[in-house]
Amino acid sequence: MEADVGELGARQMAGFKDFYQYASTTRVIAGRDLLGSAGFEFQKEGARRVFVVTDRVIRGTGLVERVEAGIADGGLELAGVFDDVPQDSSTEVVERCAAEAKAAGADSFLAVGGGSVMDTAKVADVVFTHGGSAAEQEGFFLLPRADDGQGRPLDLAPLACVPTTAGTGSEVSMGAVIKDHEAQVKLEIADFPLFPRLAILDPESTRTLPPGVAAATGMDAVTHAIESYVSLDWTPYQDARALQGLRLIRDYLERAVEDGPEDEEARGNMLIAASLAISISLGSTHAMSHPCGAHYGVPHGVANAINLPHVIRFNAEGGPDIADRYRDLNEVLGVESGGSDAQVGDALATYVGDLVAGLGLPTRLSEVGVPEDGIPTLADAAMGDGLTLLNPREPSEEHYAELFRRAL
Amino acid sequence: MLPAHPRSEGRSELPYFNDEDEVYSFLGRLFEDLAEDDELGPKFRKANTIVQYRYRNPDSQITVKLIEDEDGRVDLGDTEMEPEVVMSMEADTAHKFWLGKVNVTVALARGQIKAKGPVAKILKLVPLVKPVFPRYRTMLEQAGRQDLLEAA
Repeated sequence: MEADVGELGARQMAGFKDFYQYASTTRVIAGRDLLGSAGFEFQKEGARRVFVVTDRVIRGTGLVERVEAGIADGGLELAGVFDDVPQDSSTEVVERCAAEAKAAGADSFLAVGGGSVMDTAKVADVVFTHGGSAAEQEGFFLLPRADDGQGRPLDLAPLACVPTTAGTGSEVSMGAVIKDHEAQVKLEIADFPLFPRLAILDPESTRTLPPGVAAATGMDAVTHAIESYVSLDWTPYQDARALQGLRLIRDYLERAVEDGPEDEEARGNMLIAASLAISISLGSTHAMSHPCGAHYGVPHGVANAINLPHVIRFNAEGGPDIADRYRDLNEVLGVESGGSDAQVGDALATYVGDLVAGLGLPTRLSEVGVPEDGIPTLADAAMGDGLTLLNPREPSEEHYAELFRRAL
Repeated sequence: MLPAHPRSEGRSELPYFNDEDEVYSFLGRLFEDLAEDDELGPKFRKANTIVQYRYRNPDSQITVKLIEDEDGRVDLGDTEMEPEVVMSMEADTAHKFWLGKVNVTVALARGQIKAKGPVAKILKLVPLVKPVFPRYRTMLEQAGRQDLLEAA
């Protein structure tokens, strides 16, 4: 498969590009025993009547009660709790959450949960603040702005996040993904106001995380670090975050899964790794994994874990400038970084594949319910995913079909 | 006081196109040619959507029906078609796009192109447009509009 640089803006993987954009506006606090000061910290962001968004599993662990106590301890009021977020949240759930927050007289949101919970809270915040339906929010940099739409983005109600998984990074990102069950697509929404005002990273919040979920969400963080580093939309700022995130993942992911909640150092550092690795500038692995979730319910981290090695091999053969970026990652991970472009890609892909298997995760899409006759639909959907445009090597629909076959 | 339609790129030069008729003469004609193209037309119509391009400076609008197994249709200006996807941008940005001089992801990130609706249906067409760039260039050359080629 021949590399295609593309005419819509030449691929440039090094040097000084024509345009960079980087923002990271979330205040992060990380450490131990922080849940009790959730209110004290959130009031600094303007919250007064807090609406908590979570799911029933998390609520059942008692974690939400501890956060509620922290809200009260900080002198804030609890407006209500919405605990009806499913694993793959939807437009319907988002709209119900926003309506309940409005009815409760809330002025702010606090999400306690994983990616689905945090993304629900983000999009609910948009609907709560600006009105409209959840589906109408789809798109990139489209939230309401001052000055005839050309000025500063209008603020949303304050949002704080307490992530209970270490992977999604949604607690510090300006992106959200919500499923539209009717259309069988995942809606991608990204804009600056979606950066949460506050992220609280406390390993205590991942205490009840089962090892399998810790592994899958950890692989989501791995994928963010690797894909953001080789994205066409790379920046030196994100490079620094991705590389340091990957170092922490290298040192702590397996410990966090194998040793479980007793290893606070590992779980805490994985929370930080996930918040470093996240970016909305990713690539074809995510473009493939989104439809796997939308059509076959494959958990996002699992889909990424399976698809990532195949995309690495595909990209590494796209030219030395792409392969050189993988060489950097291999050096961080202690993987062979010499040899041909294909060899460096294969070395990294093999490392990732071994990591996935070692963590006990599925390694084939066929193991998680994806049928062979679903490939044309998946390939078509991957082509329409916005992240395809950010992949360093331009894939065709036929390329995607072949990658899905390899991953099957 | 802000102008009615501020320039998204902060430039002070005059727009490339003098009026909406010029937009329709070049960008509009390009869409009409594509709709009638035996090879590219069916590929674009796989998008199964109606997309409307709303241009500023000069204000103009092109609505394109891309429905599989149906004839293509391009409305210049007012239309009775209901768009599913709306792409808004300066007419200058559209001109540069069809010359192959716009990085779509950067334009989206900078707000130079705003896409509303199920954008995936349009994004999957982006790899298909490359063969169109030389066609647009040839159209301008044949019309004697070297000025438009050189300005972008």
